[in-house]
Amino acid sequence: MSNFLLAWIVLIPLLSSAALGLMYLFSIKIVKIPNIVFTLIGVSAPFASFWIATTFFLQMIGNSEIFLYKAYRWLGVDGYDIDMGFMADKLSIFMVLFITFVGGLIHLYASGYMKNDDGYGKFFFYFNLFIASMLLLVLADSPIIMFIGWEGVGVCSYFLISYYYEDEKNVQAGNKAFIANRVGDLGFIIAMITMFYYAGANGFDYINLEASMASVPPDVLTFIGLALFVGAIGKSAQIPLFVWLPDAMAGPTPVSALIHAATMVTAGVYMVARFHFLYDLIPDVGLIIAYVGAFSALFAAVIATKQTDIKKILAYSTMSQLGYMFIAVGLGGYSVGIFHVFTHAFFKALLFMGAGAVIVALHHEQNIFKMGGMKNKTPLVYFTMLIATLAIAGIPPFAGFFSKDEILLTAFGSGEYLIWIMGVVTAVLTAYYMFRLLFVVFHGSNYKEERKLHALNKSITMPLVILAMGSMFAGLIGVPELLGGHNLIGIWLSDWRNSSLHVAHDTEFILMAVNILAAIVGISIAYKKFFKYDMKIVPQYEGMIWNKFYIDEIYDRFIVQKIKKISIFISYKVDVNIIDMVVMGLSRSFIRGGHFISKLQNANTRFYAFTMLIGISVISTYLIMVMR
Amino acid sequence: MDFGILSVIIFLPMFVALLMLILPIGAKGTRNIAFLTSIIIFILVSLVYYNFELSGYMQFREHHTWITTYGIYYSLGIDGFSLIILMLIATLIPSAYLWLWDGRTKGYWISMMLIQTGITGTLFAQDLILFYFFWEAMLLPVFMIIGMFGTGNRVFSTIKITVYTIMGSLLMLISILYLGVAFFNNYGFWSFALNDIVQITNLTRTEEIWLFAGFMIAFAIKIPLFPFHTWLLETYSNSPTGGVFLLSSIMAKLGVYGIVRFVMPIFPELYKEFAPFFVWIGIFGLIYFGIAALMQINIKKMFAYSSASHLGFIVTGIFSLNVYGMTGAAFLIIAHAMATGGLFLLVGKMEYSLGIKAIPALGGIAKKAPIFTVFFAIMLLCIVGLPGTSGFVSEFLIILGAFGFSPSAGIVSAFTVLVAASFMFWMFQKAILSDSGNDVSQMKDLNFKEIVGMLPLAFLIIAMGIYPDWFFYKIEPTIQHYLIDILEIRNY
Amino acid sequence: MQEKEALMADSLLSYIALAMILFSIGFLGVIARKNIFIVYMSIELMLNAINLIFIALGRYYESMQPQVIALIIIAIAAAEAAVFLSLIVVLYRKKKSLNSDVFNVLNQKDAAHE
Repeated sequence: MSNFLLAWIVLIPLLSSAALGLMYLFSIKIVKIPNIVFTLIGVSAPFASFWIATTFFLQMIGNSEIFLYKAYRWLGVDGYDIDMGFMADKLSIFMVLFITFVGGLIHLYASGYMKNDDGYGKFFFYFNLFIASMLLLVLADSPIIMFIGWEGVGVCSYFLISYYYEDEKNVQAGNKAFIANRVGDLGFIIAMITMFYYAGANGFDYINLEASMASVPPDVLTFIGLALFVGAIGKSAQIPLFVWLPDAMAGPTPVSALIHAATMVTAGVYMVARFHFLYDLIPDVGLIIAYVGAFSALFAAVIATKQTDIKKILAYSTMSQLGYMFIAVGLGGYSVGIFHVFTHAFFKALLFMGAGAVIVALHHEQNIFKMGGMKNKTPLVYFTMLIATLAIAGIPPFAGFFSKDEILLTAFGSGEYLIWIMGVVTAVLTAYYMFRLLFVVFHGSNYKEERKLHALNKSITMPLVILAMGSMFAGLIGVPELLGGHNLIGIWLSDWRNSSLHVAHDTEFILMAVNILAAIVGISIAYKKFFKYDMKIVPQYEGMIWNKFYIDEIYDRFIVQKIKKISIFISYKVDVNIIDMVVMGLSRSFIRGGHFISKLQNANTRFYAFTMLIGISVISTYLIMVMR
Repeated sequence: MDFGILSVIIFLPMFVALLMLILPIGAKGTRNIAFLTSIIIFILVSLVYYNFELSGYMQFREHHTWITTYGIYYSLGIDGFSLIILMLIATLIPSAYLWLWDGRTKGYWISMMLIQTGITGTLFAQDLILFYFFWEAMLLPVFMIIGMFGTGNRVFSTIKITVYTIMGSLLMLISILYLGVAFFNNYGFWSFALNDIVQITNLTRTEEIWLFAGFMIAFAIKIPLFPFHTWLLETYSNSPTGGVFLLSSIMAKLGVYGIVRFVMPIFPELYKEFAPFFVWIGIFGLIYFGIAALMQINIKKMFAYSSASHLGFIVTGIFSLNVYGMTGAAFLIIAHAMATGGLFLLVGKMEYSLGIKAIPALGGIAKKAPIFTVFFAIMLLCIVGLPGTSGFVSEFLIILGAFGFSPSAGIVSAFTVLVAASFMFWMFQKAILSDSGNDVSQMKDLNFKEIVGMLPLAFLIIAMGIYPDWFFYKIEPTIQHYLIDILEIRNY
Repeated sequence: MQEKEALMADSLLSYIALAMILFSIGFLGVIARKNIFIVYMSIELMLNAINLIFIALGRYYESMQPQVIALIIIAIAAAEAAVFLSLIVVLYRKKKSLNSDVFNVLNQKDAAHE
């Protein structure tokens, strides 16, 4: 058996990150190491993992084998063992494949994007560590090992978001991401521990948990399900913990691509799919998840329509697309949700990279209304971005169409029409704001100030082309049988399919038509308003939507400031004025008593002699009385 | 090991310190010899560790009469719980010496060696009077080191810590003497040996509660538990690096150790009865101190609160009455000692180079001192309890233990993942990362000695996070012994 | 014989009574008078009162030891007189006064508080 190779999928990026980190320190302290060394190590690691994952993938085709590898006993208390174990089933190996592939391409892109940065080696250290954590998250065989990866992803994102740490704003964004994620982790850890006590008697890995889940009382199951979902909310930036996501754009663009496309934010979706044995038992919680997803999707899409920062638009679109995924997994269509994760990975990575290329070309300009006319200057970027935008808008046959269609089909088929309506409205809005972005940046009249554009090198453009092909064809693995496809993804993830779903073929066609119509409506509105947009007018937005419904301000005023006030109250009032007063008051009373008694020592010899007399008298009287 | 290895470990530093005091050797020579002594002790401790058998009982016993008339024995021994703290001391002290290498006077080094004698003695003593003796002996050099080498209002800090600790110690001394008399009345001969004291049967419930309170207050002040914590801020803020290092990483843990070693076997019933109270006071302290730390300007005060917060959590663990909570607490003792100790060394260096303790006056350190920042980040992530560091394993186990004690306690204690993160990352941003335009040009990166000193800590933090089981198997039998034989809890 | 002992006991009591009176006068002198010379004389008086007790007891128990002690006390008192008188001279030179209340440098009022 070559199961130990599973561990190497994680270990390769981990070791390479360790090597990169040490080499970076060596490089800044002793002898400068050329960037090419960092590039070779850093970029090859995810592809090496991809290669290993492919061998497992090929072994899995056509059977339902699960690969398990227990590296060592991680923790053994009281005869209860938790192993550092890896598990590759169809879900996790599928995730690993596109994480490593898309992640690898982002690495390649980053090697071009970051090539003039001082901290080049450090950047790849974080990047590889990020990939390693994500792979551990996916390949873990028990919740606790998953949690290690889960938090590893969180802390890497912190360091990557605050990568340009000299600027305080960036570090604050990193802090915000980490704290919001931690709120989610709180839910995760509570769920994990409850699960440990109620279902962990036979072992804490997924296989045993699945077996013992049925014996858990239903209200405890609901509690676990909700607490776990809080974790997913934090990581996947859903309402109400999404606030970190737009700020996370403070990091370099490859970071945004990595966080948003294949890794990190999809971890929440993956977790719900991984715990499908739990959520299958509690459909009510699933419904809550679906509603949270639907609201987040709509909410983010509304905000995105008024944003001007290219990266923030993409950030909100990520949140919106994640909402779609949660609709799917909440309604039991785990395979559908994962399918959307897969297609989304391609087109979202592409969008971010394209945006990054534009930003680089324009010398770090991020406001879309200060760009314009990029179509002729960077045609390659334009065409790839166009493909990605069509994909996200849901135009067939691009990737996003098939997955989004299936999600809405799941919503409709489950009888949740409200969710379906929200999904369709979101689709309209998505098409609108994405094409708004595309038209303004690439078709709008030239930005007046003529500057020499920054040249784009091969390592930036090559991944764009590859991902563009992915965005075009990735959806084909999920072409429904209705259209003569085989729905390969559904067959591959057959354990994660919602089997109760039955929709008549006619309805299915109608739904599909509605989706396409929604996309076209969105595109045409955008076309009307923004095609050949006159770039002299930079719109000034204000109001609820531009200010993101004041959510940040509400959190700040009602949570952060309150806690700060309590903190000041505790540390400067309670501790100083009450607790310290009691103890130091005690000691001061001793000092005062000492002063009083020290008055007796007045340097008057005769007084001393007198007190001596008294003392001797008392003692001798006592002795006479007692000795008698 | 029949030559009394434990006695050698205790008294070697004191002997060397006294010798240095007599001999006309300068600060540098004293420092070199102090470092050599700490290395020798590390080797001796490694021998102890290697020869330690996997059982929950006392090993390496040394038992001699000391004051025959009153049954006071010179009695030493270690079990798994003391062993890990001993390993901790032996590892931390040489590391700290490397960090304190330059610019310290002879008196400083002699005080450090005397403190080492005090803390190892406290750790080994199996007789109540002997324990009290070392417990006080450990404090005297601490007073000196704060009073002589501290900063700010150091005399006031010294007075404050003295008032607090002496108050606690006196209560403990009274309890010890009362127990001795009770033993005499019970059995007709004097003994203060722990093994004898635990067999006292003639105490009424009221007496037991008062004695229990006497011990617990003494240890609660040392730990410190809410509401006995206010000495901590002044002391940590004004202590010199070596003093605050030993106080935070080792001495605070000896308070917890005292509870486990003495309170638990002497009053097992009360220990179980009052466990809910202490579990909740630990959790309360965790959150209270965590919130208080949020708005501290002085970086050392922030760490003081953070320390208190974690020690509250440790107390929750040891009172959770199950194997998860207690092993978790033992693990957090090590994890927290390494991380806090490391942080105080790092902050001490920053203070030494820049003369600044206020967080807003710092910033931009990361650019100036990258290796410093790397170590700082590792320690910080351990404090925050990030998986992959030892902090996570221990926090996870304690939450597990608290949940086993009562689900509500488990859920509330899970807030620990938020508490430390909120202020630690704010501090990291303000003080280390972002460039606030303050002049930090005096800041130097770590030199070779400092890197060597910090590496074992960083390595252990990560190794214990990735492969915790490797460190567990020596502790676990002891914890099982506590639970099954002493507390007589079978179905936890 | 018994009568003699009773007589002896009676006279012993009167010796002791005399010694106590002398001692009390001496003590009163120490605490009531300010002049250092008078104080010194009072101390000598107290010493001699003690001597008297020693000698009376020595006679009563027919033992030599108290008498030896008395002799030693007298010898030491002589030596002490030399030291004391020279001290008085030094003190007088310092403050030009023999009033004992003047010599109060140990008074804590001058010491720093807290």
